[in-house]
Amino acid sequence: MSTGTNEVKSCPIPTRVVTPKDWSQIPDCYSQTPGGTLFSTTPGGTRIIYDRKFLLDCRNSPLARTPPCCLPQIPGVTVPSTHPMGKLQDLKEEAEEEEKDIADDNQFEMDI
Amino acid sequence: MNQLERPKDEEDQEETDCHHDNSDGTNNNNNNNRRKTVCPGAGEHPLQYNYTFWYSRRTPSRPASSQSYEQNIRQIGSVASVEQFWRFYSHLVRPGDLSGHSDFHLFKEGIKPMWEDESNRSGGKWIIRLRKGLASRFWENIILAMLGEQFMVGEEICGAVVSIRFQEDILSIWNRTSNDQTTTSRIRDTLRRVLNLPTNSIMEYKTHTDSLRDNSSFRNTKISL
Repeated sequence: MSTGTNEVKSCPIPTRVVTPKDWSQIPDCYSQTPGGTLFSTTPGGTRIIYDRKFLLDCRNSPLARTPPCCLPQIPGVTVPSTHPMGKLQDLKEEAEEEEKDIADDNQFEMDI
Repeated sequence: MNQLERPKDEEDQEETDCHHDNSDGTNNNNNNNRRKTVCPGAGEHPLQYNYTFWYSRRTPSRPASSQSYEQNIRQIGSVASVEQFWRFYSHLVRPGDLSGHSDFHLFKEGIKPMWEDESNRSGGKWIIRLRKGLASRFWENIILAMLGEQFMVGEEICGAVVSIRFQEDILSIWNRTSNDQTTTSRIRDTLRRVLNLPTNSIMEYKTHTDSLRDNSSFRNTKISL
């Protein structure tokens, strides 16, 4: 028990009560951790949940674009070059690169 | 240089405790018996489960048997993070561009995409038949939903398959317990939502026991409306 004469005045934590009339009033990011991941406690513990938009956004990060280290070479199935097949990726790289190698186009014509 | 030159992401993964599969992919037994685990790299977003990509192809004239199926299916690679998933996915041909009688499978690590696997013995699958031209888009949406844990059925999901066939393509999602109606209903409802299926679209369920019995993946299913 404190015997000091300096008393600290306590005050309640300022809060703001909002009564949303409908879902549109609740901000988009409510209950989501920054980065777009919704962490929730579900029966059995916390699960890592990602929505589609978040997963698609991750595709653009540099960590997602390097070729996998041990991709088997299956003609007509795996694309071993550093030029990935995703349409988005293709569009991006076409926009970035002035010159498009003609040789690259030939790589995608696969003889089955 | 007396060391093999390695890409940066491989170095990051070796700093973790997990083994990293750094072979060049050549393997007599199609990598089917490997038990190495992958881990998310530094700065990557972990998945709830690790998943393995598989590919299979069959010449239709050859009769299917359990033995030949196991030999015709091979692992492509395993992923533990969102970024690793994209790395593999971006280096695979889209299912709509596959030729012949081919399948892509994305299954939880440790579960083989076979009816006989321990995790699949009491299980079954929902199947959705797609007309030609839809497979690539639907496959992407179903696997994103699976990886993102949208199905909310605990441990029940085993994996997903996209099957390219002659006149139609088929999407499947496998779960552990075929007679758990709560689970199978929730999977069905999630599928409708994430794939934007029209309300009157037909969905079919088939237990793996039935598949073993009639040696067929897609015939004699139970229709659900």
